[in-house]
Amino acid sequence: MDHVTRRTFLGTAGLAAAGAAIGPWVLRASAQSGPVKIGLVLPYSGVYAVLGESITQGMELVFARENWTVAGRKIEMIKEDDEMQPPVGIRKTEKLIDSDKVDILTGPVHSGILMGMRDKVHNSKTILIVSNAGADAISRERCSKWIFRTSFSNWQPNYPMGEWVAKHVSKDVFIAAPNYQAGKDQLGAFKESFLPAGGKLVGEDYPKLGETDYAPYLTKMRQSGAKAVYCFFSGSDAVNFVKQYDQFGLKQSIKLTGAGFLTEPDVLPAQGKAALGAITGHFYTPLLDNQTNQRFVKEFQAKFAGKMPDGFACQGYDTAEVIVRALKAVNGNTQDKMKLVEVIEKSEFDSPRGRFRFDPKTHNVIQPFIYIREVKEVAGGLNNVPIDRVANVTDPGMGCTLPA
Amino acid sequence: MGADLFAQALNGLAYGVLLFLLSVGLTLIFGMLDVVNLAHGSFYMLGAYTGLSLIGALGNFWVALLAAPLVVGLVGVAIERACLRRLYRRGPLDQVLLTFGLVYLFEDLVKWIWGGRIRSIPPPDLFSGSVTVLGATIPSYRLFVIGFGLVMALLLWLLIERTRLGAIIRAGVFDAEMTSGLGIDIDRVFTAVFGFGAALGGLSGVIAGPIQSAYPAMGVTILIPALIVVVVGGLGSLKGSLVGSLVIGQAETFGKAWIPGAAMLIIYVVMAAVMLVRPQGLFGRPLK
Amino acid sequence: MTARLAGLAVLVVALALFPLVAAVYPVKLLQEILIWGVFAMSLDLLMGFAGMVSFGHSAFFGIGGYVAALTLVGSPGLVSALVLPALAAGLAALVIGFFSIRVSGVYFIMLTLAFSQMFYAYTFQVSWLGAEDGLVGIPRPAVWGLDVNGLRGFHAYLLVLVGLAALGLWRVVRSPFGHVLRGIHDNEARMEALGYAVDRYKLAAFVIAGVVAGVAGSLYVQFTGSITPDAFFWKTSGEALLMVIIGGTGTIGGALLGSAAFILLQSLVSTYTERWMLILGVTFVVFVLFAPGGIVGTVRDRAGLRA
Repeated sequence: MDHVTRRTFLGTAGLAAAGAAIGPWVLRASAQSGPVKIGLVLPYSGVYAVLGESITQGMELVFARENWTVAGRKIEMIKEDDEMQPPVGIRKTEKLIDSDKVDILTGPVHSGILMGMRDKVHNSKTILIVSNAGADAISRERCSKWIFRTSFSNWQPNYPMGEWVAKHVSKDVFIAAPNYQAGKDQLGAFKESFLPAGGKLVGEDYPKLGETDYAPYLTKMRQSGAKAVYCFFSGSDAVNFVKQYDQFGLKQSIKLTGAGFLTEPDVLPAQGKAALGAITGHFYTPLLDNQTNQRFVKEFQAKFAGKMPDGFACQGYDTAEVIVRALKAVNGNTQDKMKLVEVIEKSEFDSPRGRFRFDPKTHNVIQPFIYIREVKEVAGGLNNVPIDRVANVTDPGMGCTLPA
Repeated sequence: MGADLFAQALNGLAYGVLLFLLSVGLTLIFGMLDVVNLAHGSFYMLGAYTGLSLIGALGNFWVALLAAPLVVGLVGVAIERACLRRLYRRGPLDQVLLTFGLVYLFEDLVKWIWGGRIRSIPPPDLFSGSVTVLGATIPSYRLFVIGFGLVMALLLWLLIERTRLGAIIRAGVFDAEMTSGLGIDIDRVFTAVFGFGAALGGLSGVIAGPIQSAYPAMGVTILIPALIVVVVGGLGSLKGSLVGSLVIGQAETFGKAWIPGAAMLIIYVVMAAVMLVRPQGLFGRPLK
Repeated sequence: MTARLAGLAVLVVALALFPLVAAVYPVKLLQEILIWGVFAMSLDLLMGFAGMVSFGHSAFFGIGGYVAALTLVGSPGLVSALVLPALAAGLAALVIGFFSIRVSGVYFIMLTLAFSQMFYAYTFQVSWLGAEDGLVGIPRPAVWGLDVNGLRGFHAYLLVLVGLAALGLWRVVRSPFGHVLRGIHDNEARMEALGYAVDRYKLAAFVIAGVVAGVAGSLYVQFTGSITPDAFFWKTSGEALLMVIIGGTGTIGGALLGSAAFILLQSLVSTYTERWMLILGVTFVVFVLFAPGGIVGTVRDRAGLRA
């Protein structure tokens, strides 16, 4: 029994490995008349898979609308799971660039992966459209002529909130974010406009990333005399923080505000009523009443079994729109990369978030609006209802020279 | 100031009790079976998700609290009989590989069955608000957790110290061969202990659910704190598990409150400190 | 013996010529396999020969990587690329080893884990090391006579270093020192009774393993041009552990096979299915139950080379 098992096992494993090893490299189409290859480096496993899926779905909505053909060429999406780990993400990026020879690369979610792939992308002159990762550096000292961003920079949702919170909520604020660079950057942007508007920091705390018990911090917030809390949390951190905030009864006396990720649709269902009344700033909410968004929401829900689109889906949508329009403008010629870059730079269209434009200085999206939203119960459940907005939020982009 | 300290101490107590419930199953399995069970976090996760489904289906937290650990215990028994029992003689390396494989397996299985989104587990209606005790405001659910955990500790102590089954377990921890030689079906006991340890892990998942939510990576995240508590307390020691988790609970809570930026490190520093002074843990058997 | 040498020679030649026949991505995959293989081999020395199961080996990988990252930016030469990371990792191993050796078994596992997690927490949070995004834009060292920035140049450079590491470890294992280690692994009490300073031998093994792991970390940085705190994370240690076990503990060469198996599984399977974690998990479980000697052990059994 054992002999057969081992031999069979080894044999099958060997065959499988060989087949898997040879497989992808046997298929390699070449450039012009073949399909336009769009590479996606996103998480499709793990906690952040929901983001990867949303972004991908936004892109699929656009490509499906075009029947997967633009300027006479088919569109081929090559999805690679980066597992939210930089070594894997970088490896997959290399595969997409070196082996699949993608025409345009998109993704990632993880800023560490983005920073790790930046040089590879830049040196190989591959066009990258960042569809999520918000690391400010990509629009500043690490920017590149080949890199565009349709999502946001960490600075953008937070900077307008500083002044807004000081004016409309309170000047005595306790701020918190997970203890990593992105967290500190986001709060830094908030402070940039909050302090000059007369705001006072009653407290500042950085719990560890992935914290499950916020009790000590919540107790400190209560004891600090703050009238409001401004925070940045996302994913499971956002769920646990908001729920525990409510469980500790803080909502009654201390207004909860934050960057949009605190109450996005990937976490709102789990937060439930605990999130009611939270005020956040983000470039999107599915309740926006412009025509493009209303159509977007309807089509998205029809195509994806009633799922409510979120900011991530909008990012994917805009990424695909940029690609489609650029391809049409160059008549499907993906060989002249410089021309493609010029055309992408000039992208301008109606997005669900408003009028979409890139900042030519940094290749980062200019947020037509940062909407200030409050979580309320509306028809269909809890959602982020826009109550105010700040127009034309552009990342300052210091240190960006757009090297080629 | 006093109210502040008391509030944080209460927070620390609740957190410590959660750690105890999580680690007591692991220390029993370590102590008795000498098995490195990296999949203990997965039992915790399965408990939380099973609890979630049961609450969703039956609308009752208490029934879920009773039933979910039973389900997880059965899963534990199945694993022990199907794969783990072949590895008792093979030593820690193979056990690491097997249980690490189970970690990957369960994480994906959970994602497959329940989806990858974070899920919230509602606390029972009885304990869904907050109360103020001696100037400290704390969610009533956390007070329940403290009470529940301490009662569990007492029940477990009674079980291990005062019942025949407990005597068998203690004997088995001390010397499995001898115990077998006394005519006791040690295989059955091993299976039962593993299942029981798994059930305890599952129970801690249900209890922690309303505070910490449920997501597929939670089994992996909780593994390190669980292992650390076991090591600090001493392998196989119930008392050690309780004391160790309460100490770490306080250390982590006050560390988070007073030393910003150190939150990630506290638990490792505590462990390293204990191990350098008393390598076998607070109540573990001396090593050499 | 001659058959073995011949087989080895064929393997080395195949590895060397690989860039000439394969496309860029497979070559890069192979290079990554070799680099992680060195890391896993160093762990095998510790685990398979000295019997010390460490769950914190990533500490030295990370230290080597970060030191290389910091020094290569300023002066991209072989000293920065190899000497300094090795020294730093060795020093760290000396200190960590000194404290960790006092315990064994599960306690050793946990203490080594604690140390590597402390490094993880530190590098994750401080901005001078790039915080969670780590360090990027690191140049490869200038190697006289070789275009290390090109694919083939780097391949040659890497092969030489990997070969030296493997050879070095193999010599250590075959030496009297290595035999003492195995004696300690078999029966520590007996070795002590025979008068060997067991703790000194264990520490020496720990340091040697740490140095080689540091070199692996440095090679990784030279390969990708970047490093993140994940290098220190316990999962990195765990993956090396799995590579050693899959390849076959106590074989040194097995670690390279284990590295290949793991990386191919991790990269290729996830290209085809979202359920790769399930497949990985099942593979490990099956391996443990039916192929306990790892790949090398199983092959040796089939070929009747081991008792």
